[in-house]
Amino acid sequence: MEPQELITVARRGARADVPKRPRIGVVKFASCDGCQLTLLDLEDELLAVAERVDLIEFAEATSRRSMGPFDVLFVEGSISTEEQVEEIARLRAVSHRLITIGACATAGGIQAIRNWFDLDEVRDTVYPEPTFVESLAQARPVSDFVAVDGELRGCPISPAQLREFLVALVTGRRAQLPDEAVCLECKRQGVVCVAVAGGIPCLGPVTRTGCGAICPAYGRGCYGCFGPRESANTASLASWFSDSRSAPEVSRLFSGFTAWSAPFRTTIDAHGGPPGQLVEPTEPEDA
Amino acid sequence: MVTEPAYFLPRAQLGRLFEALRADGRRVVGPTLADRAVIYDELEGPAELPTGWETDTAPGTYRLRETGSDRSFDYVLPVTSWKRYTHPAVVPLARARRDGAKVDIEAIVAEPPSLAFVGVRACEIAALTIQERAMRAGPLGDADHAARRDAALIVAMECAAATSTCFCTSMGTGPEVEGGADLIASELDAGFVLRSGSPAGSDLLATLDLRLAEPVEVQGAAAQVAAVRARIGNPVAAEGLPQRLRAALDSPRWEEIAERCLACANCTLVCPTCFCTSVAVASDLDGLDSTTERHWDSCFSLGFGRVAGDANFRPKVKDRYRQWLTHKFSTWFDQFGSTGCVGCGRCVAWCPVGIDVREELGAIAPITAPAGPIPWPPAPAEGHAPAALSVVAPARHVTAVVERLTPETTDTVTLHVATSDEALLAARPGQFVMVELPAFATPAISISRIRQDGLDLTIRSAGAATAAIGALAPGAEVALRGPLGRGWPVESAIGRDVVIVAGGVGLAPLRPVIEAVMAERARFGAVRLYLGARTPGDRLFVAEMNALAGRADLEVAEIVDRAGPEWLGRVGIVTHLFDQARWSGDRVSAFVCGPERMMQATAAALADRGVDPAATWVTLERNMACGVGTCGHCQLGPFFVCRDGPVFSIAELGTAFGREGL
Repeated sequence: MEPQELITVARRGARADVPKRPRIGVVKFASCDGCQLTLLDLEDELLAVAERVDLIEFAEATSRRSMGPFDVLFVEGSISTEEQVEEIARLRAVSHRLITIGACATAGGIQAIRNWFDLDEVRDTVYPEPTFVESLAQARPVSDFVAVDGELRGCPISPAQLREFLVALVTGRRAQLPDEAVCLECKRQGVVCVAVAGGIPCLGPVTRTGCGAICPAYGRGCYGCFGPRESANTASLASWFSDSRSAPEVSRLFSGFTAWSAPFRTTIDAHGGPPGQLVEPTEPEDA
Repeated sequence: MVTEPAYFLPRAQLGRLFEALRADGRRVVGPTLADRAVIYDELEGPAELPTGWETDTAPGTYRLRETGSDRSFDYVLPVTSWKRYTHPAVVPLARARRDGAKVDIEAIVAEPPSLAFVGVRACEIAALTIQERAMRAGPLGDADHAARRDAALIVAMECAAATSTCFCTSMGTGPEVEGGADLIASELDAGFVLRSGSPAGSDLLATLDLRLAEPVEVQGAAAQVAAVRARIGNPVAAEGLPQRLRAALDSPRWEEIAERCLACANCTLVCPTCFCTSVAVASDLDGLDSTTERHWDSCFSLGFGRVAGDANFRPKVKDRYRQWLTHKFSTWFDQFGSTGCVGCGRCVAWCPVGIDVREELGAIAPITAPAGPIPWPPAPAEGHAPAALSVVAPARHVTAVVERLTPETTDTVTLHVATSDEALLAARPGQFVMVELPAFATPAISISRIRQDGLDLTIRSAGAATAAIGALAPGAEVALRGPLGRGWPVESAIGRDVVIVAGGVGLAPLRPVIEAVMAERARFGAVRLYLGARTPGDRLFVAEMNALAGRADLEVAEIVDRAGPEWLGRVGIVTHLFDQARWSGDRVSAFVCGPERMMQATAAALADRGVDPAATWVTLERNMACGVGTCGHCQLGPFFVCRDGPVFSIAELGTAFGREGL
């Protein structure tokens, strides 16, 4: 999804479009629940948010269940099974606006690295009894299956961005979710560039901001969990990395939580696919 | 400054300088080691200086190297620049509250601490001066920047080392310190040669009560900086560079750079003169309380060129790189009378893929380049004098009551606001105001009528903010900032024929022109009004225009792009209205407003009829954010649209008008 579309979505959040007390749902597919939990991390403001919206579906927080319809539905997780394909189509039909949250829903997540491998081999490697594992050949982002109206990136998503999205929703203004590089945040904070000063490979220049530049602030390179920014020139950055690294090493740098997003995927492909190979399953050692 | 007597501060007594600065009520900021680099930070004393460390830089690389020497200032340049203190990364601007219909917005005024900058290099002194001019070049300067700059005392340190990315010699900014500092120091092995550069510096020297420097010490300092000059050489052919760059706007090299450039904005954020910012609004959940703050932004980000309606002035990376490079080395002269580059080389070292601006300049605008046609007219001679510093005052937010609203079309409404504010009532046709509501972005809105007791503002709903403003109820308050910008030069049309061409909502800023002309009808020649709209439903001020059409002393013609069943008039584009006209253009002053493509077509059609480009006036819509020429968003070639426009003549704009990606 392009950032412009996201802004259009936020703009559609004007009062005329969303009721004063919107009916909101939070659902998940293949994911760890971490992004949903960010909603609970709002802590101080959670009650105030709850007063202004009708949270009709959120398994992490309430036993109330709803089949919809939803004014806004937050969707976490990648689509990884046939059942999920059907379920996301049903949810789309009952949601006025569908917002994907987190690296799994927006880019396929860490599990999408298996998309480069043969499903049967992966399954046999991971599970001793793979008979009952029903899975699609690839774990893919929600936008590969249904239209998406907006997205919050990250692994997990940023509480500040979630708050901004919710405030914009209830006040009817445009959500300010910048699509620029992590570098701007580093420089505003005065974080010394780990790439230039330390020679540490960093995906900050091609990764969307929103995390608060956490990794560079702690002296390590960005590994791209917010996914590609606008105008992500991964080819140029990979070429710079290649001056002192082998193709598998370069590929590994891009093979993270958002590896399956288009610009990263292309770069991984151009460097021989994701690193690593499937290993034979081994018996767990004694504890 | 070289005539000032030189004193000597032994190395062991450097702490006394810190104490003297603190006794003067100042916090000391200077170089220190952190995170594999030298940065500027607040210092307690000399122990925190990067003593015994040097720095090596190359395109895309910065490395510290330990030497074990006793010297503290042998590093070259930190990643930080002093703008972190004079133009901080985030500055709160205003606090807004809404209580029912009431709106209260007040500017947040900084009370910066008194600082002493220790270790300022010659190129950095130039940068401080250049950025100050940029922040104070408007009719309205930036109060925050001025307060912070005025609160800083400068202790310069002449360079004793250079690195491969230095090119101050080419830009004429160093390495010798020739002014702009309160105290000028040079580091020798045994201590520091100090000279005063200002009364404050003389006071400090008097406090320190030092012996005079020996001639050998003075000579040693001079030899050091001379060696630095020799080491750097002259890497950039700066002579004639602004003109050569102007002629290179269509160089194929821009495409080639865009393949390497990450558009990550690092070059602009480490640049000590880049000043561009964006504004963000944070509010509570009810949108009743909000604060706006500005933060560093960059012409390299896609969002920087974005405007309402999701159009973008610089969608391509090659456009963004061209914007940066041509501004820094060419249009900066037009705007502020100097180079925007001081040759510090930070953009070279801190580019994550090592793009070297010196190499790019050589490729884009080689010294051998023929002087091609210059894309916009040369700036007036006085434009090359350093910009005079303007008076600074906190932003003025005037609360005004919306008396009533008149729906004009399905997406456009006119707000009739009441105010007794003298400055607002003295608005000129073509000026605009920034309209502020708590929790929303601040759009620039054209004034569509200047009344004796208020203003009419005609607003097309293009985003959340304009939608919210258009949805206000009578009695609600809004805050206005303005009037801003340069309006239509209606007086220049006295004694001449007047042609007014409006497209759609573009009629709004032209209505004050029509009213000014009709108020003194006898002073003008023939008056012709050509109105275009997308559909009959998009016509603005219909009753008024119909009334004007009934008058004998002017000609009114209308056309729509697409007719409906009720439309019996002409269909087509607005220039069709005067394709067949008999009038000659040589006595015409033309005023044109509409979508940019419509204005281009109209300007071309008017030129074909012989209307002088210097008498053809258009008003540009840009992503105006600050309104006073300090945020950089609305830059177009050598202009800031908010400050230098929004009204321009076609002659002034030259080929900058309508040029893609500028």
